[in-house]
Amino acid sequence: MPRFTVAGQHFAGQLASGALIIACLALFPLVASSYQLSTLIISMVFLLPALGLNLILGYAGMLSLAQMGFFGVGGYTSALLAMHFGTPFWLNFSAACLVPALLAIPLAIPALRLRHTSFVMCTIAFVFILESVSKNWVGLTRGDMGLSSVPRPRIGLWSGGFIVHTTVQYYYLGLLLCVLAVAALVTIVRSPAGRYMIAIREDEVLAASIGGRTWHYRLAAFVLSAAFAGAGGSYYVHYVTVISPSVFDPTYTNTVLVVVLGGGVGTIMGPILGGVVFIALSEVLRIAPELRMVVYGLILTTSVFLFPKGIVEPLTAVLRGAIPSRARGSHGR
Amino acid sequence: MVVEPRTALSLRGVRKAFGPIVAVAGVDLDIVAGEICGLIGPNGSGKSTLFDCCTGLLRPTAGRVLAGATDITGWEMARIARQERLLRSFQKAVVFRALTAEDNLVLAGQMTAFPGLAATFGCGQNTRRRVRELRDRAGVLLERVGLAHMRHAKAGEMSFGQQKLLQFASMLMPEPRTILLDEPFAGINPVLIERIVENIRAVNREQGVTFVIVEHNIDVLRDLSHRLVVLSRGSILADGDPDAVIRDPLVVEAYLAG
Amino acid sequence: MLQNLLTDGLVIGSVYALVSVGMTVILGVLGQINFAHGEYYMAGAFAAWWAIDRLGLSYIESIPLAILIVAVLSLVIGYVVMQRLVDVSFDAGIIATLGISLLLQNGATLLFGGTYQVFDGGWLAPMRVLGEDIAQQRILIVLVTLAVFGALEWLVRKSSFGKQMRAVAQNVECCHVLGLDVRRVVLITFILGTTLAALSGVMTAPITMNIYGAMGEAITLKSFAVIVMGGMGSIGGTLLAGWVLGIMESLVAAYVGLQFRDAVAFTLLVLVLMWRPSGFFNTKARY
Repeated sequence: MPRFTVAGQHFAGQLASGALIIACLALFPLVASSYQLSTLIISMVFLLPALGLNLILGYAGMLSLAQMGFFGVGGYTSALLAMHFGTPFWLNFSAACLVPALLAIPLAIPALRLRHTSFVMCTIAFVFILESVSKNWVGLTRGDMGLSSVPRPRIGLWSGGFIVHTTVQYYYLGLLLCVLAVAALVTIVRSPAGRYMIAIREDEVLAASIGGRTWHYRLAAFVLSAAFAGAGGSYYVHYVTVISPSVFDPTYTNTVLVVVLGGGVGTIMGPILGGVVFIALSEVLRIAPELRMVVYGLILTTSVFLFPKGIVEPLTAVLRGAIPSRARGSHGR
Repeated sequence: MVVEPRTALSLRGVRKAFGPIVAVAGVDLDIVAGEICGLIGPNGSGKSTLFDCCTGLLRPTAGRVLAGATDITGWEMARIARQERLLRSFQKAVVFRALTAEDNLVLAGQMTAFPGLAATFGCGQNTRRRVRELRDRAGVLLERVGLAHMRHAKAGEMSFGQQKLLQFASMLMPEPRTILLDEPFAGINPVLIERIVENIRAVNREQGVTFVIVEHNIDVLRDLSHRLVVLSRGSILADGDPDAVIRDPLVVEAYLAG
Repeated sequence: MLQNLLTDGLVIGSVYALVSVGMTVILGVLGQINFAHGEYYMAGAFAAWWAIDRLGLSYIESIPLAILIVAVLSLVIGYVVMQRLVDVSFDAGIIATLGISLLLQNGATLLFGGTYQVFDGGWLAPMRVLGEDIAQQRILIVLVTLAVFGALEWLVRKSSFGKQMRAVAQNVECCHVLGLDVRRVVLITFILGTTLAALSGVMTAPITMNIYGAMGEAITLKSFAVIVMGGMGSIGGTLLAGWVLGIMESLVAAYVGLQFRDAVAFTLLVLVLMWRPSGFFNTKARY
């Protein structure tokens, strides 16, 4: 059966390398300082919305800048549930995925009529509208003051259970969430729907001509990307234990963009690498605080010309060089 | 045995105007099920616009379009393809370049193979089984058009002629009833033209698929089609046996003038 | 009261229009969204402040100097970065211009400090127009905006450079075939667009009084709303969209509440897009 060997072996190889990466990350706290771990926690906070952006941009071809809006909605949802009802983390987290996803449906009605620049602008607009709501709905969100002393994640079925509070514990919680999110993304991307999203990205008219409901799949991509962003918001809010309208600040949207586009859009490894590299970089640059953002800006602009498809490309090339025979053999050509 | 001829596609007074410019000026046409019908005409005679009106890419200004007995006027392109198995090709957009040859075919088949949207997101047993069946079918079709060796190559890396062959194969995936081809032989070499022609004939003969083909290569079309329709300035100028139509002085004049 | 609000809105709207029209010509010719556009507005204001505060020049002398400084700055950035964005994808263009935005914003903070600077200049004496006292500077802003838009319309429609701009906007490959120097057209358009933003910054600084490194960010975002509402590429549309936004903002701030002011741009944008996906003033359907 020649048909499975190629694709199958390739996927098995990817699974194996994925398992290896997870194992390394799981063992990392044994050697890492708590500062290094907290940097990785920030990477993971941004990785979750970045995976959603990767789905909608890299696969369905729509550049949505609404990610951090949904991230904020997820964060507020999770925080409010925990504060008012003392619910366990799994419930807060699920609600933080669900509420932005549901909110994405009415927002999609104007947005999905648009393409290209207009779509991008419309999604930027959503973030500002959400910011304004969070500032002005004082009864719910306490306005500009924001919510403080949000409970830490409580791991338990209903009442009682274990409360996450050390950096290492947060690290493992984040790792678990990210592994689940990446697994979900891989499943979607490898499903028939994922294949159809790529078709929409490549040529929407051609994709419609083969009988696909393009609007439904674009909606699905938008809604799913919102759910990923909401997941990030939940993890974030229980980590920093405060949330205010500043979560909708364009800086955060820019960070997610950098993670995805700088990492390598439309690949699984791209945003993961981008998350680690670019956030670590911004931490490393703290040694020169005044110059930090200037240098960061320079690196961003240069990376577009040096690595137009993101840093994942040169990095995988290096890895291929290091592991010569089997990795390349299984590629099929 | 005489079989009552059935129409695959009927146009009733189809008209399409873009502002003051009339591209299709009231066309009545019945395509008989199982025939290969060539559609020719000078540049700007309204052939592509007529295709667009039949397949839902454009909405006719007036008139009706029927697929079999179903009135499909005003339907979306995707619905026509899905429900009526009336498919079309495009001159420029040919295949999905980022996908492999096999994935292009699986994609073309999956929209009819999966009735619901939700099932396409899954990775469950049923979904996997259906995709496996589609891959098998894709293998057979690639073999048939002579692209088996390119199965796992990215479509974007194939030559233009190979892409056109792949496009043709992908249109066979959803078990079509009627296929509209927009210049299938433009820009490809004679060997590949011959291969596509053979495949059109075989599919038409074996599966009874109806073809409507817009093409400038009149020599190929004359041999291939059962019937030739000439369009000029948005109306039908001649219709009938290919050899007779090509000798029609009106047609000759239209081409020289056009 | 109402008349006052309307004039206020018209002035602010003119500022938005002047910045946005620069972004819209760059978008049209280069096909890229310039995420750093507001930074040239900021650069213009800072350059003029520097000329007045450090060199002791008068406001009127500082205007051409500030524009010259920004033109040189954008010549360098245009030459090194923007010209190359012709062949780059839409997404990569966003990253590149975001990088420039960070660079300029934080560069200004590095040079001039992170705090607010007070801009001391302009003609703030009131003048009576239609029975109302309006600062001369405000009237000047509206007049300059009208003049600039008139000149731009002429440039794009009538001049030979305008023809080249339109040609590049329509089809870069054809321009290469015809031997048109695409990079030169892009560079000049970019300098034109950024100096308009700078002009707007210099003109507005006397009114806003405070200038700071991150002041361009909000302007960039509002320009997005204006160019989309204006129909992306339409010069007259941009002016009208700018005015509509300015007036709406000033009305909302007065009657609904100041805190809703910044949400106006984007609420308006979404409403306009729902009603007409290609913007108000554009009849062409263009994605």
